[in-house]
Amino acid sequence: MNAIILSAILGVIMMFSGIWVNNKATLRWIALAGLLVLLISNIAEMYGYRIWNVNVHNMLYFDRFGLLFNSVAIGSTFIFVALSGSDINRVGKYAAEYYTLIFFVLTGITIISVYTSLLMLFLGIEIMSIPLYILTGSDKRNLKSNEASLKYFLMGAFSTGLMLMGITLIYGATGSFSIEVLNNPAIAQGVSFLEITGMLFLLVSMAFKVSAAPFHFWTPDVYDGAPGVFTSFMATVVKAAAFIAFVKLFDARMSYSSAVVDWKMLLCILIIATLLIGNITAVFQQSVKRMLAYSSIAQAGFMLFAVFSMNEMAKEGIIFYAVSYSLATIGVFAVLLKMKDFTFEGYNGLAKSQPVLAFANTVFLLSLAGIPLTAGFFAKYFMLASVIQTGHYLWMVIVAVLFAAVSVYYYFRVIQAMYFKTGEGETENIHPGFKTGLIILTVIIILLGVAPNLIINFLYF
Amino acid sequence: MNLIYLVPLFPLLGFLINGLFRKSLSKSLIGIIGSGAILASFIVSIILFNDVRTNGSMIVSYFNLLDIEAFKIPFAFQIDQLSVIFLLIITGIGFLIHVYSTAYMNDETNEHFGRYFSYLNLFVFSMLLLVMGANYVIMFIGWEGVGLCSYLLIGFWFKNNTYNYAAKKAFVMNRIGDLGFLLAVFWILAKLGTVNYGEVFASTVKFSASDITGITLLLFVGACGKSAQIPLYTWLPDAMAGPTPVSALIHAATMVTAGIYMIARSNVLYTMAPFTQTVVAIIGLATALFAATIALKQNDIKKVLAYSTVSQLGYMFLGLGAGAYTGAVFHVMTHAFFKALLFLGAGSVIHAMHHEQDIRNMGGLKKHLPITHISFLLACLAISGVPPFSGFFSKDEILAAAYLKNPIFYYLGAIGALMTAFYMFRLYALTFLGKFRGTEEQHHHLHESPSAMTIPLIVLAILSVVGGFIGIPEIFAPDAHMLEKFLHPIFAQSDSIKELHHLDRSTEWMMMGGVSVLIIVVIIIAWRKYSRTEQFVASHGIARTLENKWYVDELYDNVIVRPVTGLGSVLKNVVEKAGIDGAVNGVGRFVHYSSRQLRLLQSGQVGNYILFMVLSIVVLFLVFWNQPQIAHFLEKIF
Repeated sequence: MNAIILSAILGVIMMFSGIWVNNKATLRWIALAGLLVLLISNIAEMYGYRIWNVNVHNMLYFDRFGLLFNSVAIGSTFIFVALSGSDINRVGKYAAEYYTLIFFVLTGITIISVYTSLLMLFLGIEIMSIPLYILTGSDKRNLKSNEASLKYFLMGAFSTGLMLMGITLIYGATGSFSIEVLNNPAIAQGVSFLEITGMLFLLVSMAFKVSAAPFHFWTPDVYDGAPGVFTSFMATVVKAAAFIAFVKLFDARMSYSSAVVDWKMLLCILIIATLLIGNITAVFQQSVKRMLAYSSIAQAGFMLFAVFSMNEMAKEGIIFYAVSYSLATIGVFAVLLKMKDFTFEGYNGLAKSQPVLAFANTVFLLSLAGIPLTAGFFAKYFMLASVIQTGHYLWMVIVAVLFAAVSVYYYFRVIQAMYFKTGEGETENIHPGFKTGLIILTVIIILLGVAPNLIINFLYF
Repeated sequence: MNLIYLVPLFPLLGFLINGLFRKSLSKSLIGIIGSGAILASFIVSIILFNDVRTNGSMIVSYFNLLDIEAFKIPFAFQIDQLSVIFLLIITGIGFLIHVYSTAYMNDETNEHFGRYFSYLNLFVFSMLLLVMGANYVIMFIGWEGVGLCSYLLIGFWFKNNTYNYAAKKAFVMNRIGDLGFLLAVFWILAKLGTVNYGEVFASTVKFSASDITGITLLLFVGACGKSAQIPLYTWLPDAMAGPTPVSALIHAATMVTAGIYMIARSNVLYTMAPFTQTVVAIIGLATALFAATIALKQNDIKKVLAYSTVSQLGYMFLGLGAGAYTGAVFHVMTHAFFKALLFLGAGSVIHAMHHEQDIRNMGGLKKHLPITHISFLLACLAISGVPPFSGFFSKDEILAAAYLKNPIFYYLGAIGALMTAFYMFRLYALTFLGKFRGTEEQHHHLHESPSAMTIPLIVLAILSVVGGFIGIPEIFAPDAHMLEKFLHPIFAQSDSIKELHHLDRSTEWMMMGGVSVLIIVVIIIAWRKYSRTEQFVASHGIARTLENKWYVDELYDNVIVRPVTGLGSVLKNVVEKAGIDGAVNGVGRFVHYSSRQLRLLQSGQVGNYILFMVLSIVVLFLVFWNQPQIAHFLEKIF
């Protein structure tokens, strides 16, 4: 509860500080301070301190899983603003509004991580998505940014329609919005055709939100067209949040029906399609930014395994995956935003001109590729292990590993450009604080790659 | 005791400091750091030794190397009677060799001098890990570290390609052995789920007879590699490509004793596997004899010593195979004294002769190198087993145990001992007696080595003479075998498994006396024959075969190396280029091609996207509602 209310209040505060504060750097400090307050208040709630006691009528339930993810999301946003804040300020005049919108996105995220009612899911998704449509178009003079924003909005509206359709059908069948199994009177009567159809619609709209193929079409265009720093935010914190909502949906709503209905084949098709499209298409890209868009689709394919297997390990794993993937992608984007040229050639010779950036970037890319000793290795490990635990569709694990091997190709192209090709490796001015931030991020990623329990233990303290 | 971690820490620090700052430190500072680190370890080892003597063994665990649910491998040190003896040998002799090296390597530039000492420290560090580890995994870390360091030091003068070849040979031969070791460790893990010595030896009942035989045989393969036994011994004689003090370190204090240590450590397993014990004894004996025959006809001062090491190691394995674990450890110790002394003495000779190593070009060095000469003579007496020098006691103990195992082992072993006496005194006589046969210039420059080299010689000479008195056999004085009493806790479990035999006293007197007399006779023969030699004729027949080391290297080359490289080139040209490359590049091209095609899906038109999505939804719904039929269909196909 703390985080939901505070993030909304902080958003309003940010909005007003835009009127009184003209210095963008100061705005960034205010945003960082706000995020820190948010993080602390959320961690306090994990230990049982609530600022507000609101009767939520069982539409929200603040369990450890959701709250831990809130901490991860807020923490990642904090790192994101700390590293790329100067790039946010460069996007346009209205820095205060950008930070405001980010806080509002967090409001949405903190709702969808704890919802128990489908209404809340819808509300959270919309609160999260609408600011994103604006952020995508925030580079107002840039046609590509405008186009991306419009596309995102159109297709987002389409998926919202599907979601509402699904919720309506479920309500019609069961007379309840709750995802809680126990409150559901339909259990006794079995699962009706209407309800299953409703859930299918819900599944499709969630697949859209996490950019699972074949509902991924918006992703490359939006990620490519949006200002890079907001792409970074969308591809990390927001995508992870959508996954948490997805997992929660399957954890409660779908698990009781799975006795009657088998979701596994459908999910299997989604996963294979996502892995295929994401990885194979990323191979041919010439722009690193667009490659990262496809790689985020590919990573979504891995995260879908958590929805597929839906056991203890999957829940632990999706949190860990969210952390490792978010941190590494924020890092890769932070470096990308400092490059003058976003193509692979732009990275040529970076290791000579900016050794710290090149090294940190290498660690991030290794983590994304899932190389041991980085967080990404254990992230993928948990996902695959959870599938093996279920004992179904084991061949998917092999397919996933093969696609992970393909991903090594396009991640290593960047490393190859940085270390083995000659070039200028031109960058914007690099602040020493930025390098320090990158090094801290590198250390965190390696630390999590050696001791993944650092995160997971929070689920059970 | 909290001091334990200091023992390996000092050499590690020495390695890091000398390695990292080798360009900026002065030579004297490098020498002080390098030797000082080992001296510090030696002092701590003495403290530990006293501690073990009063309080018994101890195991200290620092952290878990691996911690996966029920499977844990702790990083732990075990300091007990066996490891502490090895600690003293490694650090004590190691320290003397370090001091010696400061003078011997003084011609090197700063950078290489620093590199040399950092390798040397790392070598000692690895060996300490090997000995101190409380489980087979820590031992394996040290085991590999020792292999690496030997590679680095044998190829220390890397500009000479034959030296690099020798280094590679040592590495490869060791790796072959390591494979056996690794397999044995995995076997133990698979059966018991632990590799800690204490737990393994306490739960041997869980092994079947074939498990034990397999594990011990595989461990022995590892020991063959590291301790240079047939058929993996060929690297050791070539290892003298490294600087002479390195040979001393490899042959005396570190490396080759690793195999003996490992078997002595696993004595419980070996005692339970009589078949393996017989194999160990036979291989040991064969190596002892085989290497001794080769040593008879070698003309390079270091080669003679190298083959004598192989031969002496064979005796140690004979002892292990015969169940005389104490005897084997005893021989490791006395051998460390006199073999270090012999190599350092040889180094002193080589130093004086300006890198001449051929004994045919030496002779008469007695008066020019007095200290070297005396110490070398004492070492020769010790290794030949002349009473009351140290080698006599340890070798006698092994031979007595061999007799109990099988009298034939004893007779063959005794013949080997006679050969040892012969080739050692051939070496001694050709080097130090008779007339000088080198060039005029060499003669002019002959000089005794500096004190940094002679003091270690003197210390080692004293140890070689008196070192045997810690293991006086029962028949001279009851209860005088201090080493056996000290090591008793280590081998107690083995002693309880096997039934103990004792030689009756008259047989033992006869054996001991007979061999000693024969050895002295052989020494006199060799002395008289070679102190007068001036002309060397080309050898032929059997002598020529011996000179060429029974052509074993050539045999290995033709039987193993050539077929393997031949197979390799076939694989490379046919399988690799045509098959694998084609397949790999084909996959790559296919991925690229599909990437280009899939990219076209992304048309940029929102209408198209929505259409695709709607179609996908329809397809998904169809699939969903027809799952049983699809599953049935798929089952039919596959």
